[in-house]
Amino acid sequence: MTASRLLRHETILGVLTVIALIVLASLSDKFFTAENLLNQGRLMSEVGLVALAMTFVIVTGGIDLSVGSILGLTAILLGVFWKNLGLPLPAAMVLALACGTFAGWVNGLIITRFRVPPLIATLATLALYRGLAEGISEARSVRGYPEWFFFFGQGEVLGVPFQLWVLGLATIVAAVILGLTPFGRATYAIGANETAARFSGIRVDAVKLWIYTGAGFCSALAAVIFVSRVTTTRSDMGTGLELDVITGVVLGGTSIFGGRGTIIGTVLGLILIQALKNGLALSGVKGDGTIVVIGLVLIGAILAGALFDRNRGG
Amino acid sequence: MKKLTMAAIVSLGLMTGSALAASAWTGGDDLPTNPLACDGTPSPAAAKPYDGGSPTNPPDRKGKKITVVDVPKLIGIGYFNATSKGIQDAAAELGNVDAKTDGPTKANIDEQITFLDNYITSGVDGILFAANDPVAIAPVLKKALEKGINVVGYDANSIPEARQWFVNQAEFNGIAKALVDSMAAEVGDEGGVAIVTSTFTTPNQARWIAEMAAYAEKCHPKMKWLETVEAQEDNNLSFNQATTLINKYGDDLKGIFGMTSVATPASAEAVTQAGKCGKIAVVGLATPNAMKPYVEKDCVKSVVLWNPVDLGYAAMQVLRAVADGTLQPGATSVKAGKLGDLQVINGSEILLGSPYVFTKENIAGFDF
Repeated sequence: MTASRLLRHETILGVLTVIALIVLASLSDKFFTAENLLNQGRLMSEVGLVALAMTFVIVTGGIDLSVGSILGLTAILLGVFWKNLGLPLPAAMVLALACGTFAGWVNGLIITRFRVPPLIATLATLALYRGLAEGISEARSVRGYPEWFFFFGQGEVLGVPFQLWVLGLATIVAAVILGLTPFGRATYAIGANETAARFSGIRVDAVKLWIYTGAGFCSALAAVIFVSRVTTTRSDMGTGLELDVITGVVLGGTSIFGGRGTIIGTVLGLILIQALKNGLALSGVKGDGTIVVIGLVLIGAILAGALFDRNRGG
Repeated sequence: MKKLTMAAIVSLGLMTGSALAASAWTGGDDLPTNPLACDGTPSPAAAKPYDGGSPTNPPDRKGKKITVVDVPKLIGIGYFNATSKGIQDAAAELGNVDAKTDGPTKANIDEQITFLDNYITSGVDGILFAANDPVAIAPVLKKALEKGINVVGYDANSIPEARQWFVNQAEFNGIAKALVDSMAAEVGDEGGVAIVTSTFTTPNQARWIAEMAAYAEKCHPKMKWLETVEAQEDNNLSFNQATTLINKYGDDLKGIFGMTSVATPASAEAVTQAGKCGKIAVVGLATPNAMKPYVEKDCVKSVVLWNPVDLGYAAMQVLRAVADGTLQPGATSVKAGKLGDLQVINGSEILLGSPYVFTKENIAGFDF
C-alpha cells in the first residue's frame, strides 16, 4: 500500500524533527521562544513557498533549476516597473508577478512542447533569466520603496509575520491539490510512469505546463516578499535558491525519480533544516559546522528512508 | 514665469549635472564623485553632523566584558581572515572582549542577514559587519540597534542610520587615484584598460569604479576603458573572465584592474598563463601573500591596498570605544590602540589612513 509507505518516511522525519527541536532547545534557551520561532518562519518563507511548487515538479520526475533566477528577474522587474517606468507600486507588483509566472510557463512550454529534459531546459533558463535580470537592471539596484510596501516582508498580522500566513495558506492549498484532487493524482501518475499516464488519458503536457507555471508564480511571489523584507532590489537575488529548495523537498521524502512525495514531508524537511541552521547557530556552532551537520542529516534521512523501502520491498 | 522656471532648472542642472551623471564606466554607481587633484593636493574635509544611528536603551557596558560577533561578507578568504585576525588582536589587547567571526561561505545578502538575525537572538553585545549590500542589510542592523546592541561596520558600509560608526579603510577617491595612477605609470596615458570586479552592485567596488572613471577623466583623459566584467568573488570565474578579456581585446588591452582580492591574483594568473607578462599590466586590490609570486616574477608591479589587519583592529577598538561611551556622536577623532588617533570623516565614519601601494621592494615585509 503506497499510503502507508509514504507515511513511513514522514514519520521518521517527524520524529527526527521533534528530536532535533528538543536537542536544540536544550542547547540554547533562546531557541524555543515564540519570538525566535516566528522570526525563523519569516526567514524560511521564501524558500518554503518555492519548495511547495518544487514538490509538484519533482513528483512528476522533473526538476526546476531556474526558480532562483525567476526570483531575481521578478525582483528586478518589480523595481524597474515601479521606478523606471513610473507605474504605481501595486500595479508593478501585479505585473512583476505576471512576468515571473510567464517565465515559469515558458519553462513548461520548452519542456512539454519541445521535449527537452527539465534538467537541461531549466539549466538554460537559469542562465537566461539571470542574464535578463542583470541586463534589465543595468546592474543597478532599486531602492527607496515606500514604507507600506515593507509590510509584506516585515509586517505582522495578529503577531505572526505576514509571509508566514501566506506560506501557511499556500501549504494548505498545495496539500489539498496534491493529496485530494484529480490533478494531484495525475501528478503522481506522471511521475510514476509517464507513458502509462499518457495512455490512461491523463493530459500529461497540460498538467506539467500548469506545474511549471505554478513554480514560476511561487518564485515570483517569493520575490515580492523578499524585496519587501530586504527593502532593496538586486539582480543577484535568489542566487543558489534552487539548491536550498531542492534540499528541503528531497529531505522531505520526495523521490527525485518522481511518483512519490508529499507536501507534509516537504514542510517537515524545511522545518528541520531551518531549525538546524538556527539552533546550531544559537548554540555557538559556526556557519561551516552547520553546513556539515545539515549534509549529514540529509544523507542520514535518505539512507533511513531507503532502508525502510528495501525492508518492505525485499 | 516660464523663463524663471527654465532658469531655475538650468542652474539646478549646472549644479548637479556633472556630479550626478551615471558613471562613465560600467559597474560604477551613480552617486556623486569627488576625484582628488592630479598632483595629490589634499582637499579640505567638509564638516558634517553625525548621521549614524544609536542603540535603544543599551545597558551600561563601560569596562565590562562584552561578547562581539564579526559577520564579514563571507568567510574563508585571505582578506577577511586578515580582518578577523586584527579583530582578535584588538580583543586580546583589550582583554575585556570575547570576539568571534562567523558568516556565510559565499557573499550572499540573504545568508548574511540570517547570520546576523541569529546572533541578535543569541544576545551579543556588539556586532561588527562588512555589508554585502548597504540597503538590504539595514533592516536587520536596525533591529540590532533596537535591541540595544552596539553596531559598527568596517570595509563595506550600510546606510548610515542602520549602524553607529563605520571604519573606512580608505576614501574611495584615494583608492581610485592610487589605482589609476599606478596603471597610467605602467601602460602610459593612452592604453586600453578593462576591469574585473565582483558584481556591478557591490557597494565598494561600484564606488571605486565610479571614482576611477571620474579621476581618469580628469587626470588621464586618454586612458581608454574597454569593459567591466563581473566575477563574483570567485577564483575560477575571475580567471575565466580575465582570460576572456585577454582573448577578446588582443593587443588593444594594455591593462587589467582587479577590483577584489580574488580578481587581482586571478587576473595576474590569467595574464601569466597567456604569456602576456609585461604586455598586459595588472593593477589591483589584493592581499600581498596572494600577489607575491606575480610581483616577484615582475608580472605585476603595483598592488594597492590598506592593511586589513589594521582595519579589523581599528573596527574592534571603535566598537569597544562605543560600548564604553568614550566615542560619542560629534567626536572628531577616536583613540584606536596602537594605531593612535583616527580621524572622523563624513559625519559617522572613521578613516583608517591613506591607501598603501605594495611593490617588489616592500611586499616581502608583509605577511597576510
